[in-house]
Amino acid sequence: MSKVTVTFIVNGKEVTLKVGPKERLIDTLREQLKLTGTKEGCGIGECGACTVILDGKAVSSCLILTGQIGGSEVLTIEGLEVDGKLDSLQKAFIDCHAIQCGFCTPGMLMSAKALLIHNPHPNREEIKTALEGNLCRCTGYEQIIEAIESVAK
Amino acid sequence: MISYEFLTTQKIEEALNYLDKFSKVHILAGGTDLLVNLYKESPRLPDFDYLLDISNIPELKIINSINKFIEIGPLVTHSRLINEPLIKNNFPVLMEAAYTIGSTQIRNRGTIGGNIVNASPAADLLPPLIALRAEVELTSRKGKRVLPLEEFLAGPYKTKLQANELLTKIKIPLLSDNYYTDFQKIGRRKALSIARLSLALVTKIDEEGIFQDTRVVPGSATPYPQSLPVTEEAINGISIFQINLEEIGKITSNEMVSITGERWSTPYKKPTIAVLIKRALERIIKEAKTNE
Repeated sequence: MSKVTVTFIVNGKEVTLKVGPKERLIDTLREQLKLTGTKEGCGIGECGACTVILDGKAVSSCLILTGQIGGSEVLTIEGLEVDGKLDSLQKAFIDCHAIQCGFCTPGMLMSAKALLIHNPHPNREEIKTALEGNLCRCTGYEQIIEAIESVAK
Repeated sequence: MISYEFLTTQKIEEALNYLDKFSKVHILAGGTDLLVNLYKESPRLPDFDYLLDISNIPELKIINSINKFIEIGPLVTHSRLINEPLIKNNFPVLMEAAYTIGSTQIRNRGTIGGNIVNASPAADLLPPLIALRAEVELTSRKGKRVLPLEEFLAGPYKTKLQANELLTKIKIPLLSDNYYTDFQKIGRRKALSIARLSLALVTKIDEEGIFQDTRVVPGSATPYPQSLPVTEEAINGISIFQINLEEIGKITSNEMVSITGERWSTPYKKPTIAVLIKRALERIIKEAKTNE
């Protein structure tokens, strides 16, 4: 199985990497780029923990082979903080206690961020739809929705 | 242990050359189904030596209105089906079905072509596409052929796609003004659920309120999605003011069982499919009466 060379942008920086034919985007982010903020939960696109933003859209990084994304732009949880300042969504998650164990949080934040990129003032239903692919077993979702609402107002 | 070489291209021509040159090639588009099967090392995966990524071929992402047809590129994602005005305005039934698929993340990657070629008995887009009389364009180095989608499907997870062919277009004939459509789906929960049962209904209601050219296609009801001609004939010719929905429900249930035989799920699906056809007809009749 020979490796392929791929060039893409991660959090604003261009990277050129050799990736295996079975290497998924989540593997490349965590193992080659050491961006371990993105979590792997189910590995089959059902839990949303591995959500990143690919060319402006929320996607499951466990369902994409890195070989597929040449020329694309990836935003991970590490890219939300700019110059030491947390993104307003990150602050809102803290303020609204939208975190408990924290495992789902990066994925939740990236789904929320993707929503706000296209729709800066979503209603509650739109927020719920954006989060329907993200599971949280601690918070019961209410605080997460409130946190996003507080930024979307 | 699954092992393969990875191929990728941005050109249809090059993809067709790969398909011609190599044997045992598996095509990768949105990956929302294939990567799950790879992860699980699913026995449903055929044996393959090459994985051909077509997800970056721009020509396969186009939606166009040409000569009374809407042509949809196979790489059009479910999210685009939901947001594209050409689909929303002409085939709301397709938009409604796309909206019930997976989650935002899945809809952003999964494609209409993948949904067709996988040919899952539960594929959400197949019932509306068959009901809309969609056709598929298949291209190989030797040329193109066009098949009605219903004919293209050959069994559960099976199609008539040849090893050297690529699905290059989905063509749907435009409906005239007096056509009505509806999609019903039951899953365990809204997000991410595989359809337990679904149903697409496309029908014409003439000036006198008579059903004509009815197409009824259930999903997850038969080994693979197919239309129900007995039910369709039972509806055709009846007035929206006189139709007996209970009777149509029974006919639909019986027709489904005549195809599948009695199975473990029959006690659930038999009454449920009757409810779905009734709901779909009720919604359409209401809409037609409002339009009078």
